[in-house]
Amino acid sequence: MIGLFGSLNMSARSLSAQQQATEVIGNNLANVNNPAYAREQLVLQASVPLETPQGEEGTGVDAVSIQEFRNAFLDGQISNQTSVTGSLTSQQSALQEAETYLDEQVQNSSAANTPAGSENGIAHALDALFNGFQTVAEPGSGLPERQTLVSTAQGLASKFNQVSTELGSVRDSLNQSIQADVASSNQDLKDIAQLNLEIATATATGGTANSLVDARQAKLEDLASKTNITTSTEANGAVDVSIGGVTMVSGFANSDQMEAYDAGGGQFLVRAQSAGTNLALTGGSIAGSISARDGELTDLQNSLNTLASNLITQVNAIYTQGFGPGGVTGGSFFTGTDASDISVSSDLAADPTIFQGSGSATAAGDNSTVAALGALGHQNITGLQNQTFSGSYATTVTSLGNAIANVTDQLGNSQSVAQMLGNQRSSISGVNTDEEMTNLISYQKAYQASAQLISTINQMLETVLTMKTV
Amino acid sequence: MFTNNFLPNLNTLEQTQNQLQGQASSGLNMTLPEDNPLTMGKVLNLQSEVDANTQYQQNITQLTSSATDVSNILSSLQPLIAQASTIAVGAGNLATQGNLPNAASDVGSLVKQILALANSKDAKGNYIFGGTQNDQPPFVATTDADNNITGVTYQGNTSVLSSEIAPNLSMSAQIPGGNTTGTGPQGLLLDSRSGTDVFSHLIALQQNLSSGNLSAITSTDIPAISADDDHVISQMSGNGVVQSALESASNSTTLQGTALSGQISTATSADLAQTLTKLSQTQTAYQAAMQSGVLIMQLSILQYIH
Repeated sequence: MIGLFGSLNMSARSLSAQQQATEVIGNNLANVNNPAYAREQLVLQASVPLETPQGEEGTGVDAVSIQEFRNAFLDGQISNQTSVTGSLTSQQSALQEAETYLDEQVQNSSAANTPAGSENGIAHALDALFNGFQTVAEPGSGLPERQTLVSTAQGLASKFNQVSTELGSVRDSLNQSIQADVASSNQDLKDIAQLNLEIATATATGGTANSLVDARQAKLEDLASKTNITTSTEANGAVDVSIGGVTMVSGFANSDQMEAYDAGGGQFLVRAQSAGTNLALTGGSIAGSISARDGELTDLQNSLNTLASNLITQVNAIYTQGFGPGGVTGGSFFTGTDASDISVSSDLAADPTIFQGSGSATAAGDNSTVAALGALGHQNITGLQNQTFSGSYATTVTSLGNAIANVTDQLGNSQSVAQMLGNQRSSISGVNTDEEMTNLISYQKAYQASAQLISTINQMLETVLTMKTV
Repeated sequence: MFTNNFLPNLNTLEQTQNQLQGQASSGLNMTLPEDNPLTMGKVLNLQSEVDANTQYQQNITQLTSSATDVSNILSSLQPLIAQASTIAVGAGNLATQGNLPNAASDVGSLVKQILALANSKDAKGNYIFGGTQNDQPPFVATTDADNNITGVTYQGNTSVLSSEIAPNLSMSAQIPGGNTTGTGPQGLLLDSRSGTDVFSHLIALQQNLSSGNLSAITSTDIPAISADDDHVISQMSGNGVVQSALESASNSTTLQGTALSGQISTATSADLAQTLTKLSQTQTAYQAAMQSGVLIMQLSILQYIH
């Protein structure tokens, strides 16, 4: 028997345990809206029993530890999915920006209020150029038609220049994102190494470090949103982190860091700073930025450059053989080499009367050269994979649209998976107010019962003392 | 966990609602390439055809205007040749009446009128019958002391301006004033293949009338001028064919333009009945989601603990 004083002591320990349990519940409720928090529970254990002739007699309850509800597998899955989502989000954002700059939309035309292609894009400007050649080829065309043609061609060249510059700015912004994400990732790696140390220190003496583990998991997921990571947990609770096969955090040491470097031409790639090896990133916003920049965005820029380059070559090849007033020949209609620098010849821009539209040095009314330029619009060009200029551009726009649609689909799927994983984790680690309140009542009642026990034992002690007095 | 699902679902419904509302207000089922890449590619190609079609229509209008100019001149010119032919045929009677000098003078006047018509300009100031050498009068006359035209030479060329009226299909409404090369389009007043030489034949007639050389008129001038008249009538007929072809091309181009715009419309127009039904369904789902969400979120065990 533990006796009345033993019972009193048991009740006091019970009061303490129930109170601590309510404190844990209070902490859970306080963190109900903290996404990084994992639900905690006070683990209670029956105290060491007392052997009596009648058998084993319980001696109350002890609070053993505060347990955190975390599933390492789900945490890992969520980190992986965060990498996938981060990569796709980054790609989608960059490609949609490029799409905006192309300015090709279906809209209701201002003239007829019927659906039509955009009047601001390269497609319309290309059509306008060839129509301009055709107009100059018409009988009786004169200076006004030539001035309009030159102005239209300048508009097309400006559109090419503008889109090329804007796509360049998307690349610049992706390069800046890569640098910023690398800097932020390095900070995460440093924090994770520090947290490893703190967690190991706290748990070395048998304690728990739940809030530190929460903080570390949040850092790991933040890091995963920027790059794909591989993690492994050491016996002391430290988490090692590898990126692209290079160990970045080993125990308490931030053994290596990521470094963004210019691989030439402003193309930023990522390598391990100490190891010096290029990191083959497959997930996260850094990989997404690199993928968008070196994939679809580069394809888009190359397509536009090829289109502009062929336009310059084909138009000039015909134009240079034409004749202007006074039999002048040999000039160029366009100058430049690609979309970035295509421009109407400065001489022609300054004086449209010198336009070499005639096929004859002496026949002022000949239109064979300009008619041939007009016919270029519906001719298949070898350098454009046997497509017309407009057809080739339409293919480019379609490719970009497909790329965005694919990324958007994948992103939708990835977000669904992330949501499902999040739900699974919530069901384990999330704080449920109803559950906490129910538990609170249980602990409250237990506390009341223990208090009542003290009161009862107190009365019993008084009885005993009264007996002694009597 | 409830809010984890509730908010994304609300967002999805709101996005769908916005998208459908946009479709209903614009009448378009897509806007950006990413909405429907394949259709966007089609629209760009169709729009390019629409733009080209508009240009072809403009070319046809311009060619029709040129053909009308030519037709008007031919309508004035042919009766002058016919009149000369009539004078030639009636030369015998005129001789009897002693009117040959007057007749010669009349023919001289006809030559001058025909020369004026042959050197006509269009509205832009270009010579209509000079071929592509249209910046100078195509026919140049030499005159004697009495200001009679004694010879006319053609200084235009035999090329004609042509414009596209459809992909790879060009047409011209122009007729060169002369062509003695034996190739290319026939000349109007001077043509080696048909033997037409209106000015030479009329000047010969004028000279034969002046000299009273009736036999030459009968044997040479009358057949030659008659053949010239036939040639000009044949050119008028050719011009009529060109105008008819242009009218037909214009109708066809207009129909094609309508069809192309229709294809763009079909590919991109929203089915309003379907869109509005979906919008209504989505709105109902959105309202239901919000209402039920609020009800569920308000439920708490705290309400039952006292």
